[in-house]
Amino acid sequence: MTTLPGLPGLPGLSLTAPSSHEAPTFVSQSHITRTQELPPGTEYRFEVSFSCRLSVKLISGTAEYFGTELAPNSKDPYLFSEGTKGAIYTWHGCKLELEGEVESEYVAEETKMDTYANAHFALEKVREQAAQHNDTGPRVLVVGPGNAGKTSVVHILTSYAVKMGRQPLVVNLDPRQGMLSVPGSLTAAAFSSIVDVEEGWGSSPISGPSPIPVKMPLVYHYGMPSPEENGGKYFKPLVTRMALAVTSRLEVDRAARVAGFVIDTSGAMSRGKGGVYENIEHVVSEFSVNIIFVLGSERLYSDLSRKYSHRTTPDDHVTLIRLDKSNGCVDRDEDYMKQFRQAQIRSYFFGHGENTLSPSTHWEDYSEMSIYKVAGEINPAFRSGDDEDDDDNAYGTSPSIFEKVTPSPQMQNSLLAITSARASDSHETIRDASVIGYLYVADVDDAKKKLRLLSPQSGRTPNNAMILGCWPEDVPGLVS
Amino acid sequence: MSLPSAEVAADFRDALQDLKVNSRPEISNLTIIAKESTEHAQAISRELENHIKTTRPEWKLPALYVLDSIVKNVGTPYTVYLGRNLYRTFMDAYVLVDEPTRKAMEGLLRTWKQPVPESMDPRPVFPVEMTRDIENSLIKFRTMAVQQAQRSQKPPMQQGLPPRPASNANVPWRHNPTPPQNATRYTPSNDPRLRQNFPPQHGTQNTPQMPPQNQFQPPNSGFTQPTASADLDTINADLDNLINSAKTDFAQNPSDVPRQQKLKTLLDLQTILKTRTLLPNQLSQIQEQIRQLAPPTAPAPSLPPSLPVPPPMIQSPQQAPPPFQATNPSFNLAQILAAARASGPPPPPAQANTSLADLLRRTSSPMQSSGTPTSVAPFPLPFPAAPMPPAPAPVPTPVPVTPTPAPSLAQILQQFGKSQPVPAAPPPPSALQFSLPQFLAQQPSTPANPAGGAEWLLNALKAQNMIPPVGASPFPPPFANAPPQAEVIGQPGSAALNAANDVELTTASMKISRPNLISKLYFAVPNQCVTCGRRFENTPQGKEKKARHMDWHFKVKDPDLSKRGIHRSWYISEREWIDYREVDETAPEQAVNGSGSAGAATAPKKETKDQYVPVPTDPTLVHAPCPICQERFEPQWLVEANDFVWMDAIKVNSKIYHATCWEEYSKGANLSVPFAAPATPDSVLGKRKAEGVSNSAEKKLRA
Repeated sequence: MTTLPGLPGLPGLSLTAPSSHEAPTFVSQSHITRTQELPPGTEYRFEVSFSCRLSVKLISGTAEYFGTELAPNSKDPYLFSEGTKGAIYTWHGCKLELEGEVESEYVAEETKMDTYANAHFALEKVREQAAQHNDTGPRVLVVGPGNAGKTSVVHILTSYAVKMGRQPLVVNLDPRQGMLSVPGSLTAAAFSSIVDVEEGWGSSPISGPSPIPVKMPLVYHYGMPSPEENGGKYFKPLVTRMALAVTSRLEVDRAARVAGFVIDTSGAMSRGKGGVYENIEHVVSEFSVNIIFVLGSERLYSDLSRKYSHRTTPDDHVTLIRLDKSNGCVDRDEDYMKQFRQAQIRSYFFGHGENTLSPSTHWEDYSEMSIYKVAGEINPAFRSGDDEDDDDNAYGTSPSIFEKVTPSPQMQNSLLAITSARASDSHETIRDASVIGYLYVADVDDAKKKLRLLSPQSGRTPNNAMILGCWPEDVPGLVS
Repeated sequence: MSLPSAEVAADFRDALQDLKVNSRPEISNLTIIAKESTEHAQAISRELENHIKTTRPEWKLPALYVLDSIVKNVGTPYTVYLGRNLYRTFMDAYVLVDEPTRKAMEGLLRTWKQPVPESMDPRPVFPVEMTRDIENSLIKFRTMAVQQAQRSQKPPMQQGLPPRPASNANVPWRHNPTPPQNATRYTPSNDPRLRQNFPPQHGTQNTPQMPPQNQFQPPNSGFTQPTASADLDTINADLDNLINSAKTDFAQNPSDVPRQQKLKTLLDLQTILKTRTLLPNQLSQIQEQIRQLAPPTAPAPSLPPSLPVPPPMIQSPQQAPPPFQATNPSFNLAQILAAARASGPPPPPAQANTSLADLLRRTSSPMQSSGTPTSVAPFPLPFPAAPMPPAPAPVPTPVPVTPTPAPSLAQILQQFGKSQPVPAAPPPPSALQFSLPQFLAQQPSTPANPAGGAEWLLNALKAQNMIPPVGASPFPPPFANAPPQAEVIGQPGSAALNAANDVELTTASMKISRPNLISKLYFAVPNQCVTCGRRFENTPQGKEKKARHMDWHFKVKDPDLSKRGIHRSWYISEREWIDYREVDETAPEQAVNGSGSAGAATAPKKETKDQYVPVPTDPTLVHAPCPICQERFEPQWLVEANDFVWMDAIKVNSKIYHATCWEEYSKGANLSVPFAAPATPDSVLGKRKAEGVSNSAEKKLRA
């Protein structure tokens, strides 16, 4: 380790650390505090490895991290770690003080921030009208291929809206990365206070105070890597359910209604089959989306405009807007994504950065657990195939949505989603139930028929129905 | 912590020296340094005072803002250290800075007389005695300035000015007992402009100044090599003078429209001078015109002012005193020019032959070609001054406005307008030698208004678009507290803040760069939290919100908290989420979630549910479940209590129950209800029973 986590502010000390890290030679190894001047309209892009961290302090000027403004001269610098690939943009020019090791860094002069800011102001206009007529604000869907910067755009739109006093809802339909929860989950949350800078979307509530106001997510468990999995048989009903919850919230929460929502999606949804994008269409109709931002893909844009251009009545009109992909988008390989997901899971239980949490472990009898897994779910080992052409009822009322599983040593290192449904509830109810939390199977003692579970809280685990997903993949050694 | 004071002070000084504009981040940075180094408060205060004293006048105001920020945000011990020399620090700076800065400083002083905003402490920022001393001096200062302007023809000795050799005349005069500042303090200025203009024989010492008239005699670098800075400063000084007297005049006759207009006109002229880059020879001619306006009491013209007071002559050593021929009581511009031509090295022909009109035209043509709005904003009749400085102590006579000087400038401006279509044609050299009848003959349509000669000027300025529309003025009104340099470079003015949001929901509209809109995200909401970067509006409500926000930061930063075992909470259920309202730490009181927005219907429920007990220290109690429902209590952080508590809990006879359980139990109503329904997440989350609105939402969900 070349970092000295406890001593970020003492440049002299970190120099003594051995820099025998297996980093490429181009990597900046400097632990010395350095300053970075950014001319107006430029962006400092950086990638931090999973073993290092970068501390950033705004010395002068203004700067924002995906739309969230950095505090001027904050006493505590911002710490980026755990594989953050980020960009600090400045509209007016700024001076940053950087310290720590990065995998790569550069200052980009060409950004798409103008476009994204315009997108925000366009939405803001819709919100102003919605506020006047007590109407629903913009219902936005962001689509595009993987690594096109969808989440970044959603982040920027959210941060700007929050900055202007709005309270937008954000819906994450990308199971590959969690929002305010672990990967494999689909979440919705309202953002009314400043969006976190250091930890993705921030943190869901913890039992103590948090330096950044927590966000209250509504979490559903999907447990598969792609919405196309299973032909969308499992994904679509969940979307329907979430849309109901979100729409209900909009009805009773005026601030949220005016601000509308932004939906982040998985790149897989934008792949489509022969120019048909079933999942996108499903999301659009369930959430009554009226604005679609298409990132990057010309083809997707043209396919979707064909689909939605005929809709001209004000009620179901869908505005399609193509946004340029930022050239700051980096391809994140599977290896990186895996580490990233594991970091997300770790922080669910153990917290992020200075905010350490104390999860607890306890043994639980097999018999106490009601664990389900999605029926007919392809074994993770064979999952890559595209064999989901069976066109049976996507809303499957057949009793075999799930099959009950008895714990086995194979379950070790996997995540269990505790739903809010009882073990005796119907499969639909279990599927549609939101999640109250996650357990991690730390150990399986098949002889004693006991599981050792890592739980975010001490005390008995509620014996609700639990879902074992094939996603995210196992996290070995979360509890050593 | 153990750093020696000198080192801290040096750091602070370095940071201060970078402070050249009113930059909020830099100022708050300096404030934070000061706050975190209170043990070195004395050294830091000394550095700050020193910096304010020695830095260039245009950088003094930001430094004063640092002082202001420190005393308001940190308070003691800085108020003590900085208060000691506050009088000198303030007054020394005051005499050297320009008029807008003075206004800003007066604004600062006003706030120092009041308690710190949002503070519990009712005491003023600085003790009243300190601010009163400064105020008294300011009043005297202004009075003197006015008197000086009025009796400008009389020798200074008779005006109660401190006896002072003429050679010292351009050392700023200060109305306080401390000795005048030594001129050497300005020499460290590293402005190359100044050096090139500085005759070597003047050196860095306080050398005796040239006699006033020598500006018009060879070899005088002050005249033959005029530079923009030097001349502009003199002009500004003169103009300030005029404006000051006009203000006094106006203050005494606030309802007099012509006077008001005269003042307005002068202020506009000032703005023009500041916003346009004028050639040196143009400047010197404007200077003459202004000087003609200056002696307002025509009847007894004896001596033009040898020194305008207050003199914001920042580069004093190199600046020649106002060039008046003391021996020529009835001088006019032509004579001066003639004299200059005759006795001096011939000035460039352009200078001699160019009229003010000509040069004004030249000056403004680039402006007009650069797309200035063609419509001139109507002049608002309300006087732009928000806070009128207190009327100075007795001024003998209101300054009578003589029409003669004003028309000359006005006429030139009119001519300028006439010759506009043919900008290349130089006006006749005699243009500067007109007289009032001439003017009237040329401008029959313009009413000659002896009481408010400035009106012509005003009209002329209007006609030439010389006066920018009020709303779009790049400068705040001269009376506003913020001087021009107080704005961060690049920070948009108010016009930009109101920029219309013209983004359409189309792909094409997304690609147009609209930097003007960005200010809505930044400077439209200027009041920023230094801890997290959140911005608040600069309104009383915004300030209240920020205060609560800061309180919240303070509360969550309790160092004891890290010792406690904190864990991730369970997620809430659909129903709860739908009824959940984001907690706004800036709201007056914590919105209670879970009971939904049903308002009055759930109000009694709230009371029950919101009962809490601190997590007991007694180990038996900690682990005891609610005797009624047998469920364990969930410790949670309660901001109001600043402690971990069990919500929905009530202590009855040394046992702790869920408050809702207890309520139902004590009602005796629902004992048959199965309390142990532990599988639902609701029980995990506490006894929250959504009712009212949530029921409909629930129905929806189940639908």
